[in-house]
Amino acid sequence: MMKTLHNKSGTGKPVTLIGFFLLLFLAGGMAHGQSFTVTGRVTDGTNALPGVTILEKGTANGTSTDADGKFTLMVGTTNATLTLSFIGYKTVEVAVNNQTTLDINMQEDVTSLNEVVVTALGVQKDVKSLGYAVQKVDGNAIQKAREPNVINSLTGKVAGLEIRNQTDLFQDPGIRLRGATPLVVIDGVPSVDADIWKINADDIESFDVLKGANASALYGSIGRNGAIMITTKRGSKAKTTVELNSSTMFQTGFIRIPEVQTTYGNGYNGQYAYVDGSGGGTEGGGWIWGPKLDQRDPSTPSGFWETTQFNSPIDELTGDRIPTPFLSRGRNNVQDFFRTGIISTNNISISSGNADGNFRVSVSNNYQKGIVPNSQLNNTSFGISGGYKLAKNLRADASITYNRQYTDNFPETGYGPTNYLYNLVLWTGPDIDVNDLQNYWEKGNEGIQQRNYNKSWYNNPYFQANEFLRGYYKDNVFGQLKLDYTVMPGLDIMLRSGINQYSLNRTWKEPKSYVAYDYVSQGNFFLSTESNFNINTDLLAQYKKSFSDNIALRASVGLANRWRNFRTQTQNTDGLVIPGFYNLSNSANPLRGTNSVQEENVNSVFGTLDLEFYNGIFLGLTGRQDWVSTMPLQNNSFFYPSVSLAGVVTDFIDLNTAKISFLKVRGSWSQVTDGQIKVNGTYPYQHIPGYDPGVNWGGTPSLQFPGTLIDPSISPETSETFEAGVDVRFLNGRIGVDAAVYSIRDFNNIYQLPMSNASGYTYRLVNGGEFLRKGFEVTVTATPVKTTSFTWNIIANYSQYHRYLKSSFDGSDRLGLIKVGERMDQNYWYGYLRSPGGQLIMGTNGFPLNDPYQRPQGYSDPDFIFGIANNFTYKNFTAGVSFDGRVGGVMYSTTNQKMWWGGTHPGTVNQFRDDANAGIASFVASGLVVVEGSAEYDSDGNITSDTRVYAPNVTPVNYISWNTNTSNADLTHYYNQSFVKLRELTVMYQVPQSILSKSFITRASIGVVGRNLALWSKMPNVDPDSGSDNLQTPSTRNIGFNLNLTF
Amino acid sequence: MKTMKYIFFTIMVLASACTDFEDLQLDPNRATQTHPGLLLTNIEAITFNYIDIGAGLASRQLAYTDGASNEQYYNWQRAGFGRYNSLRQVTKMDQEAARLNLDNYRALALFLKSVHILELSKVFGDVPYSQALQAEAGTFNPAYDTQEEIYMQVLADLEEANSLLNTSNGAITGDIIYGGDITKWKKLVNSFTLRVLLSMSKKGGAISTQVINRFNNIVDDPDTYPIFESNDDNASLRFQDLVSNRYPYFNSNSLKTAYYMEASFVNLLKDLEDPRLFAFADITPQAADDELPTTDFDAYGGIDGSALLAANTNLVVAGVVSKVNPRYYNNPVNEPSNLLSYAEVEFILAEAAARNWITADAEEHYNNGVIASFDFFDAAGVNAYLLGSEVVFNPSTAIEQIVTQKHINFFMNGGWEAFYNNLRTGFPAFSVNGGGVLNNQLVPKRWMYPQDELLYNKANVEAAIQRQYTNDNINGEMWLLKN
Repeated sequence: MMKTLHNKSGTGKPVTLIGFFLLLFLAGGMAHGQSFTVTGRVTDGTNALPGVTILEKGTANGTSTDADGKFTLMVGTTNATLTLSFIGYKTVEVAVNNQTTLDINMQEDVTSLNEVVVTALGVQKDVKSLGYAVQKVDGNAIQKAREPNVINSLTGKVAGLEIRNQTDLFQDPGIRLRGATPLVVIDGVPSVDADIWKINADDIESFDVLKGANASALYGSIGRNGAIMITTKRGSKAKTTVELNSSTMFQTGFIRIPEVQTTYGNGYNGQYAYVDGSGGGTEGGGWIWGPKLDQRDPSTPSGFWETTQFNSPIDELTGDRIPTPFLSRGRNNVQDFFRTGIISTNNISISSGNADGNFRVSVSNNYQKGIVPNSQLNNTSFGISGGYKLAKNLRADASITYNRQYTDNFPETGYGPTNYLYNLVLWTGPDIDVNDLQNYWEKGNEGIQQRNYNKSWYNNPYFQANEFLRGYYKDNVFGQLKLDYTVMPGLDIMLRSGINQYSLNRTWKEPKSYVAYDYVSQGNFFLSTESNFNINTDLLAQYKKSFSDNIALRASVGLANRWRNFRTQTQNTDGLVIPGFYNLSNSANPLRGTNSVQEENVNSVFGTLDLEFYNGIFLGLTGRQDWVSTMPLQNNSFFYPSVSLAGVVTDFIDLNTAKISFLKVRGSWSQVTDGQIKVNGTYPYQHIPGYDPGVNWGGTPSLQFPGTLIDPSISPETSETFEAGVDVRFLNGRIGVDAAVYSIRDFNNIYQLPMSNASGYTYRLVNGGEFLRKGFEVTVTATPVKTTSFTWNIIANYSQYHRYLKSSFDGSDRLGLIKVGERMDQNYWYGYLRSPGGQLIMGTNGFPLNDPYQRPQGYSDPDFIFGIANNFTYKNFTAGVSFDGRVGGVMYSTTNQKMWWGGTHPGTVNQFRDDANAGIASFVASGLVVVEGSAEYDSDGNITSDTRVYAPNVTPVNYISWNTNTSNADLTHYYNQSFVKLRELTVMYQVPQSILSKSFITRASIGVVGRNLALWSKMPNVDPDSGSDNLQTPSTRNIGFNLNLTF
Repeated sequence: MKTMKYIFFTIMVLASACTDFEDLQLDPNRATQTHPGLLLTNIEAITFNYIDIGAGLASRQLAYTDGASNEQYYNWQRAGFGRYNSLRQVTKMDQEAARLNLDNYRALALFLKSVHILELSKVFGDVPYSQALQAEAGTFNPAYDTQEEIYMQVLADLEEANSLLNTSNGAITGDIIYGGDITKWKKLVNSFTLRVLLSMSKKGGAISTQVINRFNNIVDDPDTYPIFESNDDNASLRFQDLVSNRYPYFNSNSLKTAYYMEASFVNLLKDLEDPRLFAFADITPQAADDELPTTDFDAYGGIDGSALLAANTNLVVAGVVSKVNPRYYNNPVNEPSNLLSYAEVEFILAEAAARNWITADAEEHYNNGVIASFDFFDAAGVNAYLLGSEVVFNPSTAIEQIVTQKHINFFMNGGWEAFYNNLRTGFPAFSVNGGGVLNNQLVPKRWMYPQDELLYNKANVEAAIQRQYTNDNINGEMWLLKN
């Protein structure tokens, strides 16, 4: 056991430590003999307070209250004094005075924040004592108006946390905390698989967002970018309660959907005739640059211009199609295809407890009916948790959750014919009524050839929905076992072991005639399986001592281990023999497959020291040493220190004259090293060079060497974080402001440094460079109105964040195109040549000339992010309304670019297009032509000499050619991504006790809820909330109701 | 006792979490060293793939209608250094061969390196070579060799490759081109040397003398320097009906719907009454409506690669333009890809004879080349064809005829060779006057260097640009094309 710790770390300390703990265990087994027993109950005046620490003053003798707030303590003398302390409450001293029963009332400490947060390793602390930023979100806040994914619900609720909500079904939101991906921790156990879909929202007690490494340094290498700590609910009530929460949301409409033109149909250069759908006629290329629709033509039977179309009848004599009128039948194709989606969540939980233990069981089902026909997502969780007092000083706590995510089909995203939007928005002309496509097999060719207006490039969306099926079946099991042993009052030992296990099975069924990008499928079946096992074990000893009223100490030492084993396997057919039979045995050619196994291990020793002076100055120190398997042996061990200091100014200086009831200043520093190379995901062997598989030619396998040269002495990268903050409350807490400013220096970065391909490698994996992440966060809380019947609360969050290049590699003054000192999020892109005045420069043919240098197009990060949530309580009604948004930054829009390119953009409806249909080149692009002279550039593309003389461009071009070549060169298709959203609106009614008291129900509420209700943004056709546009699903408005019952 | 139970539990939990760190320093999914034969297969599959429709556009054999193609309209920009990735594989094979003392693989490495570096040099001019591919030794910013230095090094390496290739130097495994046949490899190395020498035909003076002498050395000594003698010797990658082994444009939607035969090429084949047209092209939709037979030259048509896009699409819509023969997108195996064909070698010999480099019958080699080409494309009627008034060998237009036949033989096979032969000889002339061509109606001579070089190897690429072209432009004339 533990051989790695003593052979590689070169220290015998851990072993000694274990021995030390074992001794403590034995010592703790001894009991005290006392003569006088005091029993009592501690309340806040109304409710019992469990977990209050009770100490006999001047001794180490003590206990804590149970779930009912009750306690029993044997004291030395009948005149003993008891000291009661509890986070968020004023410490009370009570004289026993011969009483055997005491009823003690504790008062909330108004000068503190009345807030307890969960910090690293799951340790609860008073916000007042923290030297770093932590923001709490109550679980209740996300359990009414539901999102398919619990993390989406945090949007706008935490300053510095950016959630990029995706419109596509079952796609992970982008999560960025101060610009980086945070660790997710469930009940103190890190969940490095980062599957946020496995977390059941109804089981969540609270989120505590540890915003930076200063807060999460104790997690070592995985805590470099802060953490989202999720605490799950426990049974704690003496009475058995059953809670039922049911919420159903309907995706009833769209807040953003691409608008397409309905004037022109399929075709090219104004011509269209369907022959065979794959290039036999003018339909082959699949453009939407066809003839004008609904054109009167007295010479035809219908009175409209007619041509052959995919659904035109066939003349039985000639076998040719009979022309039919070319009409705008498909004016609402996008809306017609999608259906109303449903997000339905139902949870029932039972919890109970007594003095010795507690128990909670929870069952949830989350069903989402996708807006794409035949798509769905099921997410079911079964959780059980409980704790029991095994012996006088020993408590066990355990929880386990089984979660299953399963769908037989969810849509594929990204640009290409696998995406519904590609087929519907970009490449279906309004001459096609999507309802005509519901019959999706070609007659006599069922199972072999789909029926569509184009068979080379596009998929019939109904064929796609019903035959191209992407299955996903994932079983998650996660949970933990925790033992808490009180050696003596003030000294506790905790052993916790948590697991995250999953197995994932995915299938892709690709029917014959399915169109992928640039090929038509022969039918295929793909199968992939993954299994992951991750175990985290912590052994932690904590010691608490007050030396006097003015000095208190809290210290801990611990050991930790994290181990992960991950296996993958894929197999696929090479063509199918029997169409529609999806089994590996049905492969037309030999099967192909891959597999991999990954294993990683981290051992750690850590310690903390918290000192409290005069109940108002708090100093915290943490240190951790990790040994990781994911680095070369000589560089696999490193230390993570952190220091934090907080001072409550108002504890020492009265600022009431300035209406300041509370003022705390804080500062902290940490240095955290990342034990993993993250250039290629979480693959644990990235520091080891090796051959990858190459092509298999006719059964002959081969190998190839990858293009990254690995520095064998690669060492881990480190972040140094400085943070300062202030927490100020005015008017007895009616207004509060919490602000933080931080600077994170990422140094010794591991970077895939691009280099001259001629060196033989494309990249070098090296250490170096420095990035600076700087930001500012403010949270304002206010209670503008507070009367007995009406309360209005506001929470507003604001944050800004940018990342800069501080120094590059090898002494270079730049990294790629970014120069030292500049922001890292500049978008560079090859565009068209522009004059110094910004006008397009055209060639002699009237088309714009290409610029051989990439030019900046704008930053991708927003200038700032904000969220404002209002809560109103009026008698039995509560209402909430929240807005959030991101302001500034640009985003490339594939949807808009392709709409101009393909001919579906409403902006293409104009006279030039009519001219182009008639074969006339009439479009003269706004811009210049060079009549003489030339420009010389340096290697950065800066002009070194410019003798160009310009004249206005006068060369007309064909408008269709203009768009098919340049996607409208006037636009770069980088758009301002600023937006504001009406994120949530809820109205809940709490059924009064006067009604409920006659029933078995103790609490009931019902309400109307809505999310994603309105969008304000100048970005055309797409919802910028997703942070990127590669053909996204239209953004839906979700409206529904919630019912919550407790009995 | 109770306490002991908990201690025991604690120890069990901790023990279950431990694994040895040394064991985790081995990647179980990848090999760290290997036999060169395992690398050869992959290298050959990349190196011998000479099917490139972009080259067909630039060489006026094909035309594109789904947008204005930069290749077709000579709006060339930057090209890439991707071939250095292939050269990395060759370098690795050479390292593994050196480790195992397998000289035949080292010879193949010399040949394969030569193929890739010449392809790079023909695109840009000077490129890094003598200092290239040495990142493992710490050279991250390789200097550029002049094109002359590269050609001289290649000629020396090919000589060495021929002498190293020997049945006594161990078997070649993993060889999907020649199945380990050493003689065929020697034939390829020497035939390829002839191509390299002929590509230097514009050079005069001492280089010309050296080139001609070397050419004669090979032709005069077939025992030491065997060369291709039939289509069986072709340097061919044979496609198979298996995933990632199929013809590169099998099932290609683009080839089905957006690529058409170029008019000057179709008209050339019609003028010559060349039945290979029936193997290259499909009949036009109008001809299909009129039920013309596939052997009727009137059933074929093309669009002018230099004409405006809208003009071309109108012709396509009118049904008078041929696509490529459906076999190019319907047949998963179609035809092999030739790095070098026997037909080309015969044309090389014919041109060398016509230039009086060697003493040989140019007409005989010319005819052999045409016959080999007909054989490759399964076209009938070669004897009648060779008697055609435009086809029959004419010493006064010998070079034009030979290069034109080579051009035809390169259809959808041979990569950019058709284009480079045009740069060298001017045959056949490429149309530039249809109104759509950019670059001031000029056929470009090269591509600009990749922007990555300006970012990551700035001083070296700037020096190379300066000494060759003053500024990086697509009409600059590289050493090979100058006298």
